[in-house]
Amino acid sequence: MMAAIKKPRIRLKKIKFGHTCLVIGMLALVCFTALPMVAMICRAFMPLDELYLYPPRIIVQKPTLSNFSDLLTSLSASEVPFTRYIFNSIFTTVVTVFLSIFVCCAGAYGLAKFKPKGSSTIFAVITAALMFSSYVTQIPNYLIVTELGLVNSYWALILPKIAVAYNFFLVKQFAEQLPDAVLEAARIDGANELYTFWKIAMPLLKPAWSTLAVFSFVNNWNDYFSALVYINKDAMKTLPLALQTLAGGAGVVARSGSVGAATLLTTLPTIIVFCIMRGRVMQTMTYSGIKS
Amino acid sequence: MKKEKAKQKRKFLTMEKRRVVEAYMFISPWIIGTAVFFVNAIISSIKLSFSDIVQLKGFVMEYVGLANYEHIFMFDINFMPTFIEVVVDTLINTPLTLVFSLIIAMLINRKAPGRGFFRTTFFLPVLLGSGYVMEQLLQIDATGAVGVGITLPAMFQGILGNTFAPLIQAVLDRITVILWRSGVQIILFLAGLQGISSSLYEAAKCDGATQWEVFWKITLPMISPIILLNFVYTMVTYFAAADNALVKYIIKSVFTDKQFARGAAMGWVYFAFAFVMCGVVFVAAAGLSKKEER
Repeated sequence: MMAAIKKPRIRLKKIKFGHTCLVIGMLALVCFTALPMVAMICRAFMPLDELYLYPPRIIVQKPTLSNFSDLLTSLSASEVPFTRYIFNSIFTTVVTVFLSIFVCCAGAYGLAKFKPKGSSTIFAVITAALMFSSYVTQIPNYLIVTELGLVNSYWALILPKIAVAYNFFLVKQFAEQLPDAVLEAARIDGANELYTFWKIAMPLLKPAWSTLAVFSFVNNWNDYFSALVYINKDAMKTLPLALQTLAGGAGVVARSGSVGAATLLTTLPTIIVFCIMRGRVMQTMTYSGIKS
Repeated sequence: MKKEKAKQKRKFLTMEKRRVVEAYMFISPWIIGTAVFFVNAIISSIKLSFSDIVQLKGFVMEYVGLANYEHIFMFDINFMPTFIEVVVDTLINTPLTLVFSLIIAMLINRKAPGRGFFRTTFFLPVLLGSGYVMEQLLQIDATGAVGVGITLPAMFQGILGNTFAPLIQAVLDRITVILWRSGVQIILFLAGLQGISSSLYEAAKCDGATQWEVFWKITLPMISPIILLNFVYTMVTYFAAADNALVKYIIKSVFTDKQFARGAAMGWVYFAFAFVMCGVVFVAAAGLSKKEER
């Protein structure tokens, strides 16, 4: 630990005064960025009297676990076991991520490498779709899901989120870089198209779809809005929605502490996934940025 | 006979046609998904905006022409003020986001210790910044815990006078939200900066250019395509953000007040405006780059 602190100091002495200022400035910006996260973590451990102090505090003074135990008691009071929510969330998120990756990769590969007639139209639709807020399509989508009779089923949470324009766009950027020679070689060796796609193109596209997996996971995990719209049965609720309703929702005074605890619990999986995949995500984002 | 016929049939499906069929075999799942949940949704949303729902059960619609749009502009007292507020907010936030993310990207791009740490910190909000968590955090913001951030010391207020002090205070108020929204932009700028070949900088150094000149004459022109990309991206994300007052208003009127048709009409007015704004940016950028060529 000591060595870790000392090392940059020695370096800083060698570097000019300007660089020290720079690092300090950077740290200030980092503080601003980290502030909401610190606030979120602290609020999960704040006792109720501190939550309503004025002026409000960011850093917790007397951390307690009472918020978590409050949340647990309200959880055990509900009829649906807590594990059911976890299962709902994990199941829908994982299925969505897998299907989305498969559909988007296949589509992007077909579009980028075959360039069939009408590909420019499809691409125009994608760019248009990138600009739409999902809220514009939310109303009609609700009607469609109702018509299909999918309300209160897992499919309502999965189907609308498979063909995502952003995912398609990202993979297409990559698919265009695939060397034709490799694909051609596979074909000459007698591989059929599906085999070429699955065994040659997919491994080459791995940086793209692994990044996508992280994004897709995070977005779907966090997305409680579609669950709010499509699901009204307790047993089918996803974790973020369930935690929010159990904690009494934002703005309810009595359970503000539990809301904080619930928020922290909801974000944990996304942070873990990000930490595992960090290096790869950064690489892909930088790489795809150059190309677009 | 049969064999010959089969041969002929195969000839109809030429190599080229086969490729097209194969291509669509790959794309079709995506096309179906988009057709059902995007194109279909868009079309019925347009239809909805021109009609009135006579019966909520079964969604019986009746064509009413421009009545919904008329209502929005003539009778709805909340729509226009919210709309203007959102537009002004976006116009202030977009340039600020661009400037901040460019500065941060340039700082991270230097080979300094702790680069990875800085990168991760600035990027992390992108992952948390959607949906539930962001809403929660903005809630905190509303109660003041995060918003307190920094208040301008009274001394500076005296020096800066009444015109500049509120301006700087406004920047300080926005800074956290802006930094939370600039993760993707920083990455894109970083990619652009790393794409500039170092020989350009070396040449400039040999010619005795200062850092300041290098920034204006080399860095900025070289990343101008990315500035445009970021500008449009930032604008679109601000327009489409869930915490945006107008989006909130639309959601409220649809899902709370059950005004489906009016909500759809509002959504379209809003989208059309965002679309036009992006178009203006593109045209302006094209004009600027032409000027430079001359």
